[in-house]
Amino acid sequence: MRQGPWHERLTRFSVTAALVAVGGCIQVRAPDKPIEINLNVKIQQEVVVRLQQDAKDLINNNPELFPQ
Amino acid sequence: MTRSSIMPHALGLALAALVATSAPANAQDSVISAAKAAGTVGEQADGYLGIKGAVSGDVKAAVDALNIKRRAAYTDLAGKRGATVAEAAAVTGCQTLATRVSAGQIYRIGAGDWQTKGAGPIALPDYCVGAGN
Repeated sequence: MRQGPWHERLTRFSVTAALVAVGGCIQVRAPDKPIEINLNVKIQQEVVVRLQQDAKDLINNNPELFPQ
Repeated sequence: MTRSSIMPHALGLALAALVATSAPANAQDSVISAAKAAGTVGEQADGYLGIKGAVSGDVKAAVDALNIKRRAAYTDLAGKRGATVAEAAAVTGCQTLATRVSAGQIYRIGAGDWQTKGAGPIALPDYCVGAGN
């Protein structure tokens, strides 16, 4: 079951091998989820806990800064 | 003044009247309350007000002025507690999203899209532990 002269088969083999190699090397894949760009500071929960009551007081004591 | 330029103001006044139950402290607050009701201004998780789309110069000026006042308050708090201004702002943002956004008003978390609050509570960022009343 010849599929052409030896050099044609060699070329086909080489191209296939090259494609396999490329496929094996490049691991870039579309992410399953959109990339999340978080513009917020990385904030520690410890800071949140520490400032929580102050934040509540800030809002309650300055309602004009937080119009609804 | 054309009719088309009057109508937005009439709409704004009507919306301001609708939210008058919260008794805005001044004209600036009533402009913001009306814009919130109109869905063009909303609270952000970073602790500041944001603008969605195009708004009038009055609304833009009111938002900018209020954000400057908030920043001053956050700066005070940060200084008292040895935190950064952004941290003080974000913690207050948790609280604002939890307690100061009404159903139908818009809000934004991080760089995400503006969302409209539904009947239930807003899904807060993970770091907002214990936010609420």
